[in-house]
Amino acid sequence: MVGYKNYENTRLHIKNKIVNVDQYNGHTHERKQLLDILKRTTDSGESNSALLIGPPGVGKTTLVNSILKELQEDKKFNSSAVLVRLHGLIHTDDRLALKAITSRMNLDNAINGKVFGSFAENLSFLLACLQTGQRETSKSVLFILEEFDLFCSHHNQTLLYNLFDVSQSAQTPICVIGITHRLDVIELFEKRVKSRFSHRQIFLFSTHGDDIAIPSINQRIDRISNFLLLTNNNDFSSTYFAQWNKNIKQLMKDKKFICSMQRLLDISENEEITKNIMMLAVSKLNVEKPKISADDIEDELNIFEKDDLVQTVQDLSVLELCLLIAMKHHSEIYDLQPFNFEMILTRYNKFINANSNVQNVQRSVVLKAFEHIQNVELIAPTGTVMSRLQKEYQLFKLLITSQQITEAIKTMNGLPTEVIQWAGSSLA
Amino acid sequence: MDSLVNQLKMNFPGRTYQIERLFSLFGYKNEPFVSSVFIYGPSSTGKSAVVGSLLDGLEIRNACVNLVECYSSKVLFESILNQLSGHKIDPFKGHPYAKCDNVMDFIFNLRKCADEVDLNKSVIVLDKAERLRNMDYNLLPAFLKLKELSGLSVSVIFISEIIFEKYYFKARTLEPIKIHFSQYTREELWEILRLDFDHVQNFIRNNFNENFDINEEFFSNYLNLFLSVFYRVCRDLSELRHMSKLNFVKYCEPVFKKECKLEDSMGLWRHIAPILKASLEVLYLRISPVSQEGKQQSVEIKCDGARTVKQFTFSKESLAQFLELPFYAKYLLIAAYLASYNPPKEDKRLFMKYHGKKTKRMKDVKAKNIVSEQLNTQLGPKPFGFERLVAIFYAILEEKVDFNSNLLVQISTLVELQLLSMVSDNCDLDSRKYKCCVSFEFIQIISKTVDFNITKYLVDFN
Ligand SMILES: Nc1ncnc2c1ncn2[C@@H]1O[C@H](COP(=O)(O)OP(=O)(O)O)[C@@H](O)[C@H]1O
Ligand SMILES: Nc1ncnc2c1ncn2[C@@H]1O[C@H](COP(=O)(O)OP(=O)(O)O)[C@@H](O)[C@H]1O
Ligand SMILES: [Mg+2]
Ligand SMILES: [Mg+2]
Repeated sequence: MVGYKNYENTRLHIKNKIVNVDQYNGHTHERKQLLDILKRTTDSGESNSALLIGPPGVGKTTLVNSILKELQEDKKFNSSAVLVRLHGLIHTDDRLALKAITSRMNLDNAINGKVFGSFAENLSFLLACLQTGQRETSKSVLFILEEFDLFCSHHNQTLLYNLFDVSQSAQTPICVIGITHRLDVIELFEKRVKSRFSHRQIFLFSTHGDDIAIPSINQRIDRISNFLLLTNNNDFSSTYFAQWNKNIKQLMKDKKFICSMQRLLDISENEEITKNIMMLAVSKLNVEKPKISADDIEDELNIFEKDDLVQTVQDLSVLELCLLIAMKHHSEIYDLQPFNFEMILTRYNKFINANSNVQNVQRSVVLKAFEHIQNVELIAPTGTVMSRLQKEYQLFKLLITSQQITEAIKTMNGLPTEVIQWAGSSLA
Repeated sequence: MDSLVNQLKMNFPGRTYQIERLFSLFGYKNEPFVSSVFIYGPSSTGKSAVVGSLLDGLEIRNACVNLVECYSSKVLFESILNQLSGHKIDPFKGHPYAKCDNVMDFIFNLRKCADEVDLNKSVIVLDKAERLRNMDYNLLPAFLKLKELSGLSVSVIFISEIIFEKYYFKARTLEPIKIHFSQYTREELWEILRLDFDHVQNFIRNNFNENFDINEEFFSNYLNLFLSVFYRVCRDLSELRHMSKLNFVKYCEPVFKKECKLEDSMGLWRHIAPILKASLEVLYLRISPVSQEGKQQSVEIKCDGARTVKQFTFSKESLAQFLELPFYAKYLLIAAYLASYNPPKEDKRLFMKYHGKKTKRMKDVKAKNIVSEQLNTQLGPKPFGFERLVAIFYAILEEKVDFNSNLLVQISTLVELQLLSMVSDNCDLDSRKYKCCVSFEFIQIISKTVDFNITKYLVDFN
């Protein structure tokens, strides 16, 4: 019974830690840089703009959140600054963005019924509302724009132009921070926007942390052990607590485990993937399986790395697979030239005729199988789909490589031998 | 709790891995859920059914939306909110819980909803999620990140027949946890189809007023035979289930008619084998998912099984036999076929009575070897002009007729019947282009009715 409670508490404890990350570790230099920029606006009323750039899942949002949390802990913050967070996926045009800014500043009433000549007028009215005259009581505004690159596709980049314009003039102190995964984001700026941007860019890569001496793999393993180690021993029996943590510490040094983590880091810098894998490994804990081992992690990694296209092939029926093999042969012989149903059918029929034990099916059924292959997007029509053209003659190209097909067939169970042989033959 | 897992495993044979995995993520009341799960696999592998029964069994507040039913994102948002809030739509007014035109409205209202009901650990299920790809570009990434965007602990489960790789806008999305619903193996299908036994037994009892009782083993044996014929061509559970029921009735027939004993498996096999093979040919042909058609079909099956099979094999090829075309129209169609499938430069050689003998040159032989696989008949019809059609028409027609308006009308009739299609929309007769849209089998049948040997005039066969 005690064991039962222990494992349930362990699951809960670790899952909570993985889901609710609010601390940021590493990248202290970049963190300080960004914090300073924001502080200069809130404390000394300087306007500024900067971009935070890094691949997806490297921790940009987490970093900004941890900085904002730190700022907000200062009691003065709420009286001296307004935080406006916009998101490229939510505020898909400038009208929505302005609406969000207005309501964030609690100015819905002030603006009620007013008609503005232009976007700029509207924005400057909003900002002016925050000014009460004296420097001490007026507020600065922090704009955080997530998925920043999406704002570049808004009509005329009006919002960006106006924000950067304000940040260059001595009006209200504002700070504009853009967060994006696009390294080339500055190329997306219109000229007038570009000239008003401060060109301050902070790059976040997991491969060069602060200290080159500490490889990023170690930093990542550090974070993982923070997740997996139990920290609150009130919920556990003391022997269980000690045993679990000892086990985790061993795991962190395990060669196989480190190997898996290196593999994962090589695939992607996206930390979310690591967290998902930990989440799945922890989710497997139950009474019969009270420990996490290096094998569990490796299993999850293997599942993660499985090629979905290969799986799609393995889900096909034998008939569908035969058509796919015919397409593979066609592509090999004709050097990846497109094919249509008739060509594939001819090739398939040759195979059928050479194997008397295989029952043939009607053309319409083969056509259905062909369409199924199209539906799961293993093939796609080339060029324009001409509605006037009968579907039998529509040209298609393969969206999967010969190697992937071979790979799928190799690990597929219960295939008839003649099909395997046919797939393997180089000239069919 | 574990009893739920066991129950699900029993109801869904072959889904142990998927059930356990989903349960480990959503089955524990206190634990936080992951932000998104992507479920993918072929159709009728139990994706919707397993997810639905698991969430219901766990009494997790959820909103299930099938994207096929959402012609706009507005409908999608409002349907989610209606379900999560438990909003009952007044049939007279029909107001949704809240109006949402975009993601911003949706998130605003979702938060509002969270103030009224406890949305903590609720789940949104988006079925046929591949449809998201044709909707607003921000929907997929926004739903993948819904937790981050809304600040609520609401999870999203995507159900899709298309792998995640095929979704665009991956760059800015976080990778969801993926669970693959693999296609069933033959053994698993056998196991699942056996669950239909009660249903089938009732069906037999209700439809044959015979004192006749089948047992489970009898049905299992049948399923084995059935799968030995069908599995190679089809692994789709729904389709197999439909076909197995239809054919089981026929399998039993010799027993009702006292031609065969229940135990005489050889005799039953001899009887059913040709029937199974015939019905293999109508696989998937009840294309329409409308249940109306399914009903109609099973009624027909009851009165006369054999005829239904015939009716459904009624294809374009057999159409040729029934189609009553005027004599000249047939020749026009043949001429059109020849024009579509022969390169124009060969016309002279094929149709002129006294063309110079073509001497085979080495170059031709070589060229022929290379393209031997790529026949003109495989590449589809090529467009041809009106003049060429008329020229070929006269060349193959032995008698002399005037080309009059009657023939012109016949050409338009062929276009109306969709045996020919017009390629250019030009009204000018001389520059109009046509294509012939009938298959080789079709034109062969037409040719036979006028005693014309079509293969003699096709480059592919010469
Ligand atoms: N240095 C770090 N410290 C703590 N967590 C991190 C760190 N880097 C990444 N993560 C984790 O990785 C996940 C993805 O980070 P996120 O900030 O959403 O990435 P981004 O915004 O760059 O796409 C988060 O769940 C976060 O917990
Ligand atoms: N393993 C199984 N055992 C029993 N019935 C199943 C199984 N898998 C699917 N079904 C049934 O097949 C039908 C189609 O399943 P569904 O969940 O709609 O498939 P999907 O969503 O994958 O297309 C449903 O009636 C479902 O109950
Ligand atoms: Mg982010
Ligand atoms: Mg479904």
